[in-house]
Amino acid sequence: MKVKILFFGVLSEVAGTGIKFYDDVRTIEHLKLRIFDDYPEIIHYKFNVSVNNEFINGDRELENGDEIAFLPPFAGG
Amino acid sequence: MANFLIQGPVSPDQIASQVKNLGIRKDMGGHSIFLGQVRDDLSDGRRVRAIEYSAYEGMVSNEAEKIKKIIFNEFSDVLEIVIIHSVGILKAGEISMFVLVSAGHRDHAIKACQKLVELIKERLPVWKKEIFDDNTHRWQENG
Repeated sequence: MKVKILFFGVLSEVAGTGIKFYDDVRTIEHLKLRIFDDYPEIIHYKFNVSVNNEFINGDRELENGDEIAFLPPFAGG
Repeated sequence: MANFLIQGPVSPDQIASQVKNLGIRKDMGGHSIFLGQVRDDLSDGRRVRAIEYSAYEGMVSNEAEKIKKIIFNEFSDVLEIVIIHSVGILKAGEISMFVLVSAGHRDHAIKACQKLVELIKERLPVWKKEIFDDNTHRWQENG
């Protein structure tokens, strides 16, 4: 599945980019493993994950074109 | 840009234009406004000179609408809510957030405004990078 990954806040600095594409990931957990492989430092940070603008908990199958965001704790307001 | 976000600080003119629009609805009796300002916090001897705000724009609209719904459900007298949050680099002293709650009466206007600010801090996908006077920076988290 080809998916778009967005990194926000401190994670964009750790990854050195705000956006990345992967084209062979099947699930969220699979994606996380790939990301931790490519960016080992990310494992030290707290973050939530969203798929197509909705928070998700646990694992989930991905579909072509999904947009997955890695969201550190918010700091607005 | 999502209609809750603006590039740069909230200006006095933008605030004035929100106030100018009040009074169109005659069933409103109270309006509560909160402005968030960038504060020059001192941290380990370094002073904040600016904050860079960034946001997940696609999610901001969803979350802002959910926040408004929560407020409308909890405060039955609230009639309108405006949320404006800055993105980009704002200097200490500049206004980074404007919220306005309009209600039939002051009680819900004031209480809902307070709750609204707390919900924004908790739920809006916005991030803050503090930029210090020595040009170092730190990513901030809401407590």
